[in-house]
Amino acid sequence: MAASGNLLTFVSADNVHIEVERDVAERSLLIKNMLEDLGEATEDIPIPNVNEPVLRKVIEWCRHHKNDPPASTEDEDSRRKTTDIDEWDQKFTQVDQEMLFEIILAANYLDIKGLLDVGCKTVANMIKGKSPEEIRKTFNIQNDFTPEEEDQIRRENEWAEDR
Amino acid sequence: MPAIIPQTPHKDDLDETWTFLEKGIDSVMLKLEEGVDMKTYMALYTAVHNFCTSQKAIGSSQNIKAHHGGRLPFLQRHNTPRTSSLTTFAAHLLGEELYKLLGEYLSRHLDAVYRESEGHAEEALLGFYIREWLRYTTAAKYINHLFRYLNRHWVKREIDEGKKNVYDVYTLHLVKWKDDFFMKVHEKVMEAVLNLVEKQRNGETIEQSQIKSIVDSFVSLGLDESDSSKSTLEVYRYYFEKPFIVATRVYYENESRQFVAENSVVEYMKKAEARLDEEKARVGLYLHQDIAKHLTDTCLDVLVTAHSELLRDEFQVLLDNERQEDLARMYRLLSRIRDGLDPLRTKFEAHVRKAGLAAVEKVAADGDAFEPKLYVDALLQVHTRYQSLVSEAFNGESEFVRSLDNACREFVNRNKICKSGSTKTPELLARYTDSLLKKGSKAAEESELEEMLVQIMTVFKYIEDKDVFQKFYSKMLAKRLVHVSSVSDDAETSMISKLKEACGFEYTNKLQRMFQDIQISKDLNASYRDWQEKILDDDDRRKLVDSHFQILGTGFWPLNAPSTDFLAPPEIVKTAERFQSFYFDKHNGRKLTWLWQLCKGEIKANYIKNTKVPYTFQVSTFQMGILLLFNEHDTLSYEDIQKATSLAPEILDPNLSIFLKAKVLTISPEGSKPEPGASFSLNYNFRNKKIKVNLNIQIKSEQKVESDDTHKTIEEDRKLLLQSAIVRIMKSRKKMKHVQLVQEVIQQVKSRFPPKVPDIKKNIEALMEKDYIERLDGDEIAYIA
Repeated sequence: MAASGNLLTFVSADNVHIEVERDVAERSLLIKNMLEDLGEATEDIPIPNVNEPVLRKVIEWCRHHKNDPPASTEDEDSRRKTTDIDEWDQKFTQVDQEMLFEIILAANYLDIKGLLDVGCKTVANMIKGKSPEEIRKTFNIQNDFTPEEEDQIRRENEWAEDR
Repeated sequence: MPAIIPQTPHKDDLDETWTFLEKGIDSVMLKLEEGVDMKTYMALYTAVHNFCTSQKAIGSSQNIKAHHGGRLPFLQRHNTPRTSSLTTFAAHLLGEELYKLLGEYLSRHLDAVYRESEGHAEEALLGFYIREWLRYTTAAKYINHLFRYLNRHWVKREIDEGKKNVYDVYTLHLVKWKDDFFMKVHEKVMEAVLNLVEKQRNGETIEQSQIKSIVDSFVSLGLDESDSSKSTLEVYRYYFEKPFIVATRVYYENESRQFVAENSVVEYMKKAEARLDEEKARVGLYLHQDIAKHLTDTCLDVLVTAHSELLRDEFQVLLDNERQEDLARMYRLLSRIRDGLDPLRTKFEAHVRKAGLAAVEKVAADGDAFEPKLYVDALLQVHTRYQSLVSEAFNGESEFVRSLDNACREFVNRNKICKSGSTKTPELLARYTDSLLKKGSKAAEESELEEMLVQIMTVFKYIEDKDVFQKFYSKMLAKRLVHVSSVSDDAETSMISKLKEACGFEYTNKLQRMFQDIQISKDLNASYRDWQEKILDDDDRRKLVDSHFQILGTGFWPLNAPSTDFLAPPEIVKTAERFQSFYFDKHNGRKLTWLWQLCKGEIKANYIKNTKVPYTFQVSTFQMGILLLFNEHDTLSYEDIQKATSLAPEILDPNLSIFLKAKVLTISPEGSKPEPGASFSLNYNFRNKKIKVNLNIQIKSEQKVESDDTHKTIEEDRKLLLQSAIVRIMKSRKKMKHVQLVQEVIQQVKSRFPPKVPDIKKNIEALMEKDYIERLDGDEIAYIA
């Protein structure tokens, strides 16, 4: 079913129809550009790379942030430097790791800058202050470096060590 | 539209991905008007995204370790790479292959466009170019959006790393258009543009919007190498502006050459002006503003500078015929080129001077006996005429005003009437002013009079010998004040304040003091009358002469003591003495000198029987002295009169002549002249049409003497002015070179009169003799304290 007026219909990868307001949808630069190029949305919009639960999460974020002012370049720089995340976003990202990564991937795909930043900062905060071993544990990464490689990397990055 | 949902290609397969994309791009490029559905749009975007995020893309030869353990390759952009063996693979993003394939696709596409363009020429080519440009750039915007993922990651990284020749996808379209199409057709396109413009210049109607579109396209192709989001005008300037300017130059060179050969200069100026306006409008209509200055300069160069000699040669002709509109046109044209007007100013100045001299010559043609008004009017007329020309035709431009001033100064101070010296103009101007300010002048309306005074100041401004004007003016003002013959106090004040404005306080100081003296005298007479009321007895009252006194400060008034002795009649003496005692009472220690030659009065002729109302004679005090003698005698000899009045013969004789002429007295022997031996009798049968008879007529010879005297005093005053200037300068400088001193003196006094260097030297010598200054070695002069 095609949505009319200010209501669009997204079709998730798993073929679920989700209605979403146009201004919320346009948080995604991909959607915004497409509507600009193709004019009025007269048909359902397939979102082939995102499953329903993730898409709903993404739409939730967009709806909450639909009135955010467009970030200027300056803001962007300062925003990127801090790892501060506002309260709502912190609650929003309290999901299991798998979901968090899915959200980040979807934000990247749909070109939603704010959400992508929030996701990445959340991951960054998970890494902060942890030893390599702890990080491996957190993200369930297998250490596939040889001891020699590990040694070399440590030497090259010596300058960054806390002393 | 295809009903089947487009199958997204396998993300790891470059060939499959590209084949899929190419099909989509083709439909955007070639069939956009059919529309693109959202499924296709999303599929194309997703294909690009998936390819760029795939980990094992075919053709990616990078170390597989780059992706170990990570599921989020895009996160790598958050790690700022430093120098490390890790960075090479950490920095690697997929997309290069897509970018290259897209570029190749565009080249192929544009090649086809070019081949198609070969079938078109002139306007058809323009139409084709514009159509294709519009289609291509619209498609570019779509494709740019579809490839946005590539732009955001791979392209951004390449540009951040300083790679040249990598652009965002939209810019890539422009670059390809420029390299693969534009460079092959720009000459042909410009040829068509220029032919079209030429048609329009020839008066045909053309499709202007076509050129506008071409301009826009050329401007869009100017890319800033260092920042692709900015554009430069390089391409437009080089490929559009340059040939456009060249064609314009050729066109107008030919046109103007031909036009000048077949038409008058006046016609040509109209044409040139019209063409300049037209080209200026052309910029606004369909060219880029950037060309405006260059285009105008070129047109001016070809249309004006190249023909400037021709125009200037016509200037004199236009001046002679007073073609104001054409002069204005010439001014406008030549004012726009460098140094265009200088030769005109020189010619203009000479022309005005000639006109001024000719006008004066006309006045002088009838000899010396012309009214000052005639002369001043002639000067003013020339000035007014050319002043209006300057403001109407030459935009009131200051350099032309200066030329006008120079010319006026020349013909005002040096012309046929002041052959003998430049003092004639100020004298005549002062006389004319006097005639206006004296009672009985024709300018009855106050505003009219004021306007004429303003005009007098116009001439005054040009006068070099301002001191001469001052001399004559103060003499005449003195007379007007003493004889109460000013037309109005307001007019006098107005004129004095105008002079003050022009020359400063010092110049009008004495004039103002004179004016004040008259006001003070009025009050003085009032208090004198009060004083008389108290002091007079009945006898005094019976013999009282109605009197009015003016006390004039010696230093301010240009008046001299009488040149003759005079025994005033006893009635007058009595009156004068009474006033004197009143005055000395008030102002102890002052000295009063009676200026009998300026006094006048009225006497009643009661002796004449043939009229009921007795005649009243208006007479000077001298005349009064003579006539009152006849109260005691009917006949008196010349010697008796002379003895009783003690008047010098040069005063006595002409006054007696006046009485004889008016038949107040008769002479015997009859017909003789007033001289010793003659005797005079009272004419009891005097008759006149008027009851009041004015016998106080100025004697002709007096006037002449007066004028000569004034000139003499001017010379004296100038000497004093020079000497005081020298002393003033030396007092402040103490030591000075001779040459320098002369220069300074000229500077100081030139606002009054133009000093001659020999005169200055003479006065320096005179001051040395008086020990004010001394000569030192080396041509230096020192002040002696």
